[in-house]
Parts: sequence; structure tokens; C-alpha cells
Amino acid sequence: MTDRDDLPDVDGYNRIYVVISAVVGLAVTALALWVVAGFNVFHESLYRVNPTVEGGGIGADWVFGNTIPSLDFLIALIHAADVLMGAFILVLMFLHWAAFRRLADRMREPGESRSEAVAADGGERPVSEARSGGGSSEGGDGS
Amino acid sequence: MSNLDHGKFTRVTTLFHSLLALDVFLLFFSGYAIMFNDELWWLLALLGGATGTVAVHRIAGLGLITLVIFWVTLQVTSSTGRSNFWAAKPTKGDFDAFIQDIRFVLGRADERHPNARQFAGYKSDEVPLLSYVGKGVVAIFTIELLLLTVSGLLIWSKTGVASLFQTKAAAMAFVTFHGLLGVIMLMGVMFHIFEHGMHPAFYPVETKAFIPRSMIPEQHADGGEEPDTTGIERLSLSPSWRTVSTIFGAITVIGIVSVLIASIFDEGYPVPRELAIGGGPTSLLMTIGINLGILVLGVGLVLSMYGNVLRIRWERQLEASDQEPATAADGGEPRSDGGVESDD
Repeated sequence: MTDRDDLPDVDGYNRIYVVISAVVGLAVTALALWVVAGFNVFHESLYRVNPTVEGGGIGADWVFGNTIPSLDFLIALIHAADVLMGAFILVLMFLHWAAFRRLADRMREPGESRSEAVAADGGERPVSEARSGGGSSEGGDGS
Repeated sequence: MSNLDHGKFTRVTTLFHSLLALDVFLLFFSGYAIMFNDELWWLLALLGGATGTVAVHRIAGLGLITLVIFWVTLQVTSSTGRSNFWAAKPTKGDFDAFIQDIRFVLGRADERHPNARQFAGYKSDEVPLLSYVGKGVVAIFTIELLLLTVSGLLIWSKTGVASLFQTKAAAMAFVTFHGLLGVIMLMGVMFHIFEHGMHPAFYPVETKAFIPRSMIPEQHADGGEEPDTTGIERLSLSPSWRTVSTIFGAITVIGIVSVLIASIFDEGYPVPRELAIGGGPTSLLMTIGINLGILVLGVGLVLSMYGNVLRIRWERQLEASDQEPATAADGGEPRSDGGVESDD
């Protein structure tokens, strides 16, 4: 692929920064992996006294479930965020769906053939003829 | 063939988008095979059971960290990246674009707002780098990826996080937090696939994110005449658009609603408040709905690859037209940019 920096308005990323960023990305990943790989239970720091359910001994959490209020709150918060964002995403979804249908109504129907049909990839120069060719019933194509 | 009217992303951005998509799809497939294991048992089995699925998820998770850190570093260090910050900043125009979209759907506006426009056509100069949805995607992805990465690293070692809080339930709470957090992104990505796959002018995939702007010929309007429409009425609708967009729209909605409902009941895996192993209630309807949601993601993966196929075809076409010196596929004389308008 030839470089096309001769075209205007093409200021891509400088190669140096791309390489630096890739190296930093890999380095941070390696560091994160190294940290979490060493993140494990240190048995001597575990609470081992009072081995009853009431006393919160080993295994008591299996009976109680999650008793940390902050974590409970976090989960409730995320549930709420899920529902709110879900509702909003559905609104956006229906909005775009309806907009797409309206846009599609403006386009030519599949079978419709006209003399100056233009490929969807804009094969022809767009502005010059379309605008001036008002005689070909092209202009105000409403529906 | 899709319209190529607004390549606005650089080559690095398009490549990054494809890699991020691939990685996030892997994370979704493996992560929700775990969380919705009642409904996606086949996916869990396909990815190698519990062991294999978790391995895929962890490897893809590390890949995500690399990609995200790469991107953040690139945006901060390079001047192109720094200028992108301003392009991604929400403005009042984005809110107006949302309101105008509602008015457009109700028939009270004739055009979509420039900040909402996916098909730019003759008005491509007005269209910003990112639409209002695009900016929302960037913002939500930023927050979500940060929280997902932090919580994901925290639950890398379940025993580690359990000892940190002195209770095993803490590990499960974080697993649940992690899974519920991803649901927002899961729903958002489903919408994203619909939005960029089912636009009538671009169907079946919008190439904006696949064909870099360096490969898009610059076209300048002749004279000072300002066209008053985008020119969408000159494009032909694909014969299959109505059927496919209706079916795909329906399964996208069903998928979003299903994972949303399931996320309320399936408090992750296993449930932290009452320590019951397994998900919440499941039913045939829920199973079908969630599987349709996963199907939407599968379609997204295919479309993402198809976008790259289109880019390669476009590349070939450009190279072929480069061989013939006189053709104007790239807008005539490439080296003259300032003088283009006066040339004609």
C-alpha cells in the first residue's frame, strides 16, 4: 500500500507515538499480570478465631452471604445503572430504527431505474449534474 | 456496495477499532457464557467448559488492557490524539441532535442534525468526527472499560480478594459487580451493531470505521453552490434492506431486553446476597431471548470482518486506478489541494 500523505487533510498518527504506545500498552499489561499473579491469600492474616457462625468464623460467610454493605450497595447501584442505561439504549434503538425507515423511504426503491442512477459508492461526481438536472424529475423526490 | 462518503478515521484508528472489536467480542462471548450459563450452556461447552471459557476470558482481558493502555498513551502523547479530545467532547449540538432525531422520527424535522448524521453525502463538511451517539459510546466505553479492568484484575485471584475483605462473599460480590457492569456495554454494543449495520445508505455495514480517511478521495464542491440535501434520494435501497432490518431490529431489541431482565434476576455467578449456586430463574423464553442477543453479537463480528474485506477491496481498487495515470478516482491531481476549487 502506498502512503497517501499527498492527499490533503490526512494527518495520521506519527509512527513513533504508535510504537511508544504499543510498548507502553504491553508493559502495563505485563505489570498488571505480574501484580495479580502474586495476589493471593496469605493464610496467617486470615481471621481464624471464634469459629462459629455468630462469631463470623471461617465458613460463616457461606451462611450469611455478602454482609459488606458497600459491596451490596455497589451491586444495587449497578443494577439501577443497568436498568436506566438499558431503557435509554432502547430509546436510542427505536429512535434510530424509525429514523432509518424514514431515510429509506427517501431512497430509490430497488427496482426503480432511472437514466442517471448513481452507484452507492458515489461513482460519479455528485454535485454538478444532480443539482442542475432539474428537468429529469430528480430534484424534489419526496415520498 | 456501501457509500464511502466520510472516511474520518485514521489508519491506526480503524485498525484499533477492529482489534478492540475482536477482543471485546471474545470477552462478551466468554464472559456471558459464564454469567448466563443457564441459557448459553452450548457456548460454555464450545469454549472448552468452565476451564477453557475462563482461560479465553483472561487472555482476552489482558489483550484489552494492552489495547486500552496503548490507546490512552497514543491519545496523550501524539498531537493528533490530543486534538481528538476536543472532537469527542460533548457539546450542546449533541443534545440538539438527540432532540432533532426525535423530531425527525415524528416528521417535524426534514433532516437529521449534522451531529446525528451518519450519511453525510453532499453535506459531509458539516458532519463532525463523531456523532452524538459516537461520543456517548466513547464516554461510556471509557468509564466501563476502566471499571471492568479494575474489577477484572481484582477478581483475577478469588482467594486474594476474599482475604482482602476477610470473606469469600466479597470475591463473589466483585464477580457479580463485574458481570453486571458489562451488561451496559453488552446492550450498547448490540445497539452499535444495529446502528452501523442497518443504516439504509450503508447496509450491510458502514465503512467509516474500516476504511481510513487517507484512502478516501477528497471531493470539493464545484463553485460556491451549497446543496440543500445530503443527496440520499439518489441512492438505491438494497432489495433486502426492509426484511433484514426489520428482523435484525427485532432480534436486537429482544436481545437487549432479555439480557437486561436476566441481569436483574441472575445476580451473577454465584449470587452474593443469598449464597445460592447458579443463576436466577430461567425459562424457554429467556433462553431464546439471550441466545438472540448473542446472535446479534455474532452478526457484529461478521460485519466487522466484512468491513475489513471492503477496505481491502477498496485498497485494490485504488491501487488499480493508480496504475492508470489519467483517471480521477482520487480526485484528480492529488498534490493540489488549495487550488482545487478554482481549478474547475
